[in-house]
Amino acid sequence: MERSEIPTFQPRLRVLNREQALAIHTAALEILEKTGFKMEHPRALEMLADKGCRISDGDWVRMPPHLVEEALKTAPKQISLYDQKGAKAMDLTGENSFYGTGSDATFTQDVETGERRRAVLKDVSNFATLVDGLENIDFAMSMANPEDAPIDDIYVYVFAEMLRNTNKPIVFIADSGRDIAKIHEIACSVVGGEEELKRKPFILNYSEAISPLLFPENVMEKLIFCAQKKIPLCLPSGSNAGGGAPVTLAGAMALGIAENLAGLVVHQLAGKGSPFLFGPNVSAMDMKSSVVCYGCPEWSLTQAALADMRDEIYGLPIWAFAGASDAKIMDAQAGAEAMFSILTALLSRANLIHDVGFLEYGSTSSLEMITMANELIAMSRFYVQGIPVNDGTLALEAIERVGRGGPGSIFLMDDHTYDHFMEALFLPKLLDRSRYDAWENEGAMDLYKRCNMEAKRILSEHEVDTKPDAVLKEIEQILKSS
Amino acid sequence: MSEFSSLTEAVIKGDIQTAVAETQSALDAGSNVQDILDKGLIAAMDEVGEKFSTGQMFVPQMLRSAKTMQECMKLIKALFQEGQLRAKGKIVIGTVRQDLHDIGKNLVAMMMEGAGFSITDLGVDVSPKDFTQKAQEVGADIVAMSALLSTTMPAMRETIEALQEAGIRDKVKVMIGGAPVTENFASEIKADSYAPDAGSAVIAAKKLLGIT
Repeated sequence: MERSEIPTFQPRLRVLNREQALAIHTAALEILEKTGFKMEHPRALEMLADKGCRISDGDWVRMPPHLVEEALKTAPKQISLYDQKGAKAMDLTGENSFYGTGSDATFTQDVETGERRRAVLKDVSNFATLVDGLENIDFAMSMANPEDAPIDDIYVYVFAEMLRNTNKPIVFIADSGRDIAKIHEIACSVVGGEEELKRKPFILNYSEAISPLLFPENVMEKLIFCAQKKIPLCLPSGSNAGGGAPVTLAGAMALGIAENLAGLVVHQLAGKGSPFLFGPNVSAMDMKSSVVCYGCPEWSLTQAALADMRDEIYGLPIWAFAGASDAKIMDAQAGAEAMFSILTALLSRANLIHDVGFLEYGSTSSLEMITMANELIAMSRFYVQGIPVNDGTLALEAIERVGRGGPGSIFLMDDHTYDHFMEALFLPKLLDRSRYDAWENEGAMDLYKRCNMEAKRILSEHEVDTKPDAVLKEIEQILKSS
Repeated sequence: MSEFSSLTEAVIKGDIQTAVAETQSALDAGSNVQDILDKGLIAAMDEVGEKFSTGQMFVPQMLRSAKTMQECMKLIKALFQEGQLRAKGKIVIGTVRQDLHDIGKNLVAMMMEGAGFSITDLGVDVSPKDFTQKAQEVGADIVAMSALLSTTMPAMRETIEALQEAGIRDKVKVMIGGAPVTENFASEIKADSYAPDAGSAVIAAKKLLGIT
């Protein structure tokens, strides 16, 4: 008799039960209704007042919960990001997870000297090229706050630099309504116009409200611009436990979610049905150094909890982080912290996962760190596939053949092994499993050194498909008009 | 020091009630007010600063000590004649124009105050003009600026230029800090000092004013 197909359980993490999720959601709504928030954008304030929010002290807003419910209904449950050539690259919905880099690091660890130094525009191009060449890194962020870019147009310059060096989707930063319009103009020129960009967006804007409960004018300018132009957007405030938010994680999440939902309401009022990625950044402030941690278990925990809340309540694709560290160099701490968050993000099915490759709590970028993460993501993806159980994988015939095959019969020689080892096992590229003598003969290299060599190899060998001259010229012109 | 050891201990512990009671009883016993401040409160905060910088104390504990000191100060401040209170120095502090991120700045201000400086906190989004006017008004020894966004860093340079134009640049020291700020940037814009965190900001401020 033939065995009926057994569904494969794919390892899945849950950290909140339904009661916990609902209690945090209710607290978030209560913050919006009872405490309120400061909205410094006049038009946003007007829209909120028109919809029945109570305004006091000029710009303090208290929001009735039904506005949140309405916004949640109109925001799309699925956001598709395309690559710059128009192919669907990231289907942000359900259980799909995509990893990418982060933004705005002040320093970088120089790939040639290993020194920590101020980042420059050339680093932005190196990071974009590396992202383009790594199979498990799905989108690019600038990774740098370059010293040599004109400060007023720094985000326009890093955006142009990324475009020249990758064709993957880009998550970008802007300062206000002024530079985001330029970035949008450039993005339109890449795909051949505003309508085409709306149809197949390859960009997503990252903006931040300020915890606690502050929505600055320039931030809302960007949010409204994105809502009107249908540019996907995320708005994670920094409701970090002990810093921008209460030290207890439930309260920090409630505050961050409240801020996120207030942003969502304005967003949907400005552009009903425009794509909005749910999720605050809820890390923890270190109680000694006061840095906001990038390698702490708290952020992974809240991230998983937010994924649970997506499943229980919000239904919107979520914003997440992984693959970063508080270590100053790519050492054992960096590896441990990166793996912790990479695996958690996947186990909780976070959708858009940024910050891969950060050291020093997001202040230093590292090409080696991304290269390592690329492999850790592969390792995690293998793990999360679970264990398919069927006639082929139970392999009773192979067991029979080898078991009864007499002397010299080994699985390694069996056709079943030959046919299946590539998908049945995880085959590392950079994680070293060689025998000691071989490792020593190869130069006794640690993972950092191997990642360094691999990053350099990709930078020198990987060819990014260049954009048409006309597009490159147009980008130049827009930059010059700055 | 022994004279005020229970006051000192209470401040280090962050025990507001005991510290205030100890301050009151020192006053009742006729202790010199400047001594209560210097040998009791500031001595305690020096030790807190030392413990914090060597990792023996956490930020919330350090801030509780600073708050404890502030509560005690309320009792003794009234007893000083105008201008008699010897502060270590006067610091005007704020986040620069268009920067609304103030957690770091608040932390620096609290620690500076705890270390015995007189703080004028201008809050967030402080224009070069406001920094300059306030520095002139209070006769500041130090102007301390913070920026979290790289896009607001140019306002630090503009503030220094404003101090120059007002003719008080040689009278005040300028300190800067914040995530994107570096030592190089500080020397580029001719700030006098850069500090990477709140603890070092206090040390840097003392150094600038020649206080040990």
